[in-house]
Amino acid sequence: MLDRGAALRLTGQQEHNGNTGDGVSKQEAAEGVEIEIGGLSKIFGQGAAAFHALSDINLEIRTGEFFTLLGPSGCGKTTLLRVIAGFEQPSAGSLKINGKEVAGLGPNARPVNTVFQNYALFPHMTVAQNIGFGLKMLGRPRAEVEATTAEMLKLVKMEAMAGRKPSEISGGQQQRVALARALAPRPRVLLLDEPLSALDLKLRKEMQSELKRLQAETGITFIFVTHDQEEALTMSDRIAVMSAGRILQLGSPHEIYHAPSERFVADFIGDTNFMDLPVSAVEDGRARVTLPGGQEAEARLPEGMLPVLGETVTLVIRPEQARLVEPAGADLVAEVESAVFFGTDTHIHLRLHDGQGFVLRRQNTAETPDPAPGSVVGLQLSPGALRVLRS
Amino acid sequence: MAEIRETHGWKWLLCAPALTVLVMAASGPLLIVVIYSFLTPGNMGGVVWQFSLDGWFRVFFRRDIFEPDLVSLNDAHLAIFWRSIWLSFQTTLLCAVLGFPTAWFIATRPPASRTLWLFLITIPFWTNLLIRTFAIQELIRNNGTINSMLIWSGLIDQPIQMLYTDFAILLGMAYVFLPLMVLPLYAAMDKLDFRLVEAGYDLYASRLKVLWHVILPLVKPGFIAGSILVFIPAIGAYVTPRVLGGGRTMMLGNLIALQFGQGRNWPLGAALAMLLLVIVVAALVFYLRWANREEGRANV
Repeated sequence: MLDRGAALRLTGQQEHNGNTGDGVSKQEAAEGVEIEIGGLSKIFGQGAAAFHALSDINLEIRTGEFFTLLGPSGCGKTTLLRVIAGFEQPSAGSLKINGKEVAGLGPNARPVNTVFQNYALFPHMTVAQNIGFGLKMLGRPRAEVEATTAEMLKLVKMEAMAGRKPSEISGGQQQRVALARALAPRPRVLLLDEPLSALDLKLRKEMQSELKRLQAETGITFIFVTHDQEEALTMSDRIAVMSAGRILQLGSPHEIYHAPSERFVADFIGDTNFMDLPVSAVEDGRARVTLPGGQEAEARLPEGMLPVLGETVTLVIRPEQARLVEPAGADLVAEVESAVFFGTDTHIHLRLHDGQGFVLRRQNTAETPDPAPGSVVGLQLSPGALRVLRS
Repeated sequence: MAEIRETHGWKWLLCAPALTVLVMAASGPLLIVVIYSFLTPGNMGGVVWQFSLDGWFRVFFRRDIFEPDLVSLNDAHLAIFWRSIWLSFQTTLLCAVLGFPTAWFIATRPPASRTLWLFLITIPFWTNLLIRTFAIQELIRNNGTINSMLIWSGLIDQPIQMLYTDFAILLGMAYVFLPLMVLPLYAAMDKLDFRLVEAGYDLYASRLKVLWHVILPLVKPGFIAGSILVFIPAIGAYVTPRVLGGGRTMMLGNLIALQFGQGRNWPLGAALAMLLLVIVVAALVFYLRWANREEGRANV
């Protein structure tokens, strides 16, 4: 999708310009902390009506990473983004960008640019004028503004639309212009506030890979806000899952998916089965639990957690981490309640012998029939499928 | 299809009463004024049905009383034309400068209290224009409120002459027409997407630059509508210049009234009225052209 040459020229010129310190060179991108947030809170309103939008956020975002703030609406992710951008000032705590305290500074004094949810392109300006706006406001010479605008137009493949007004281009094109406009001043950090939510599915997939590539090629730190867990998993280097103004878990997509720290995270990301089972043994950071049928299985324990023998713990198991087998000798035996065909896979709703529900996701082939409701099946768990949740 | 055409066929009849009123009330008197401007003045006012260009001639020129062949420009009239245009322009500008922050303040209030503010803006309309104008007179006359206060506080010894000046007319007209600027400006700001303002700040613009590059271009339709609403009634204003300008500083409206009244020269009054119409239309065309060209330039 992207013109690699243009992108490389962009990075090249960044190092060449290097005057404002806005640009990020590739060497820098590997190490270093870009944004450091300490004890940050944001309270809207006062007294009894006070609303804690953010409570004691501590976060380090590394230079050059694709960082995602993920959570349901109202969890504070957009507020956090707006605090980083400078649209909101924190009620308490510190916020450093590239080692410099920026709390109290306005958005025009921070080396950060935002791609807004509905793009917020200036309707009275052309595509080219929109893209050049930031540099013009920085007082750069006209020749540089024009050169960078041309470069950016090429980067997002919008050269042909340079003279159009935002109302004369499609949603996907507006999205590209918004990206180009935010990238043109070469910020240290690019903030993206659910930028893909207004696009249809196909365009969204396209823009996801384009965003990822832009990030890799410019080396700019991206902070991406979304409520779409799939988007977060596919694009991010690291994800912070937020709820009610707090960060619940911070980790790589793999960690977040396979080792959720608490019930909310497990529930919010992907489909999950929860099972309450008694612990029969604990060894080497692993627990053995007794399954409903009497079989024993190994479960991963969160770091530092030591359950008491006999204690009932909550475990999570992803729907694709078990497969259907003959009931004899299986880990679990269950009765089929219903089967829902999704094309690539089928979701089989099961009832375990102790009454707990279980959803199994089975990859489909052309010749495997869906199990009939009422039939009894066996389940075999994948190794490491069970994980104990911190209570 | 046929059915739709049929309904269209009689639906326009619904507009007929309004159309009749508009045509009769607008073009009827207008036609009379046009005709009168080409007739001869009667001795006691009114007109004599005899074609004459004298009315139009006197709009711009005057004859010497003793030597009727000596013709010179009527600089008294020209001064009045110029004052009318200039004062109306200043009024429009003053209303825009005062109206913008007011409209901005209202547009940035929580929605619930906006209605109250808009309501307050319309309060002056509740009172008769004449009474309001006399109130201003009371404020600015030589022994009026402002001068009394200033003398009492020792800032000045002699009252400042404010009444019966162009300043008085400007003040009065700006006061009267300000709501006509605030309301369309508010309507334009109400539609303004405040995320665009945020986008401006985000892209390193200062407050002033956001105002200049983002807000003003976007509320321009409000300025255009407000300017038209203020300028047109201002140039034909009668009561305000009459009360606050006295006899000394006349505007077009007063001159026209004078010709129909004491002047007893109806054709001249009619010609002046036509001239006023021409000025308004010309100003409107010029202004809209200018506004659209600005738009076109932004496109490049």
